[in-house]
Amino acid sequence: MSQVTVSVRTYAFTWATLLALTLLTSVMGLLDLGTFNMVAAVLIALIKASLIAAIFMHAFFGAKLVRIVVASGVMWFLILIGLTLADYLTRGLLPFPGK
Amino acid sequence: MADPLELAVREQFHDPAQQRETSTVAMWVFLITEVMLFGVLFTTFTVYRIGHPAAFDQGSAQMEFWMGAVNTAVLICSSFAMALAVNSAERGKRLRLAVYLLLTIGIGLVFLGIKFTEYYLHYQDHKVPGLNFQDSTPDARFIEMFFVFYFIMTGLHAIHMLVGIGLLSALLLRTYLGSFNGEYHTPVELTGLYWHFVDVVWVFLFAIFYIPGAHMR
Repeated sequence: MSQVTVSVRTYAFTWATLLALTLLTSVMGLLDLGTFNMVAAVLIALIKASLIAAIFMHAFFGAKLVRIVVASGVMWFLILIGLTLADYLTRGLLPFPGK
Repeated sequence: MADPLELAVREQFHDPAQQRETSTVAMWVFLITEVMLFGVLFTTFTVYRIGHPAAFDQGSAQMEFWMGAVNTAVLICSSFAMALAVNSAERGKRLRLAVYLLLTIGIGLVFLGIKFTEYYLHYQDHKVPGLNFQDSTPDARFIEMFFVFYFIMTGLHAIHMLVGIGLLSALLLRTYLGSFNGEYHTPVELTGLYWHFVDVVWVFLFAIFYIPGAHMR
């Protein structure tokens, strides 16, 4: 039986939202917001990526197993970047004898 | 002629639904390995950026900002066309599927055209590490490092785009041959997943390479 996962309307709305967010992130990039430039850019990128994964890639509508796989991917990446930064960001934080 | 649905179910599966779910999960697992591939690069970039924020901002200021922004929009449009292709496949509309696949490939090629134009401009500006990199500012070493990341990460992304265009072309051929119908169109969906994933990677590449130094241009 053929079934439609996501309607054209939903795709079109997602597409328009993604374009709007691209415009927003570009305009914000032109303003000098200090460190917040990078933070805002990554936050908007996360929102866009979630929209693409949830709607375009059907993760939101998919089987539970698919959602678990997606979540595990995010988790493995957080371990990768989290533990790496836990090292680099904390170097030189504590004095140690002989130095 | 044999029913394409019968031909499409391999013997290890009970029914088309089980086969489809297995394939979908497997594709996602593959995409997670891709997340790890790009993830290592993103992590290394983050470590270097934290170490040399000023140099990386200067490097970012030398990006072709508007080309990057337009390219982001272009790739989102290509993803939209792919989503519509999957929708057409689900409805069993063969002609529409072919048109949207062609559109996806076409917009993807526009993206690569803009990308390679950028590469050429960087080449002319003497910003290609290992080939002709020139910079006389005090931070030159780390600006060069920024460009190393830029070329490796966007280059790896461009290779993924080329692979995607190859897969989409194969889909187009199979659509023409009548391999897909409303019941069986798993390859269209899975190639769609790959194409959207490549889009997601670009969204992050745009955020980390083009945005931070855009206001300094």
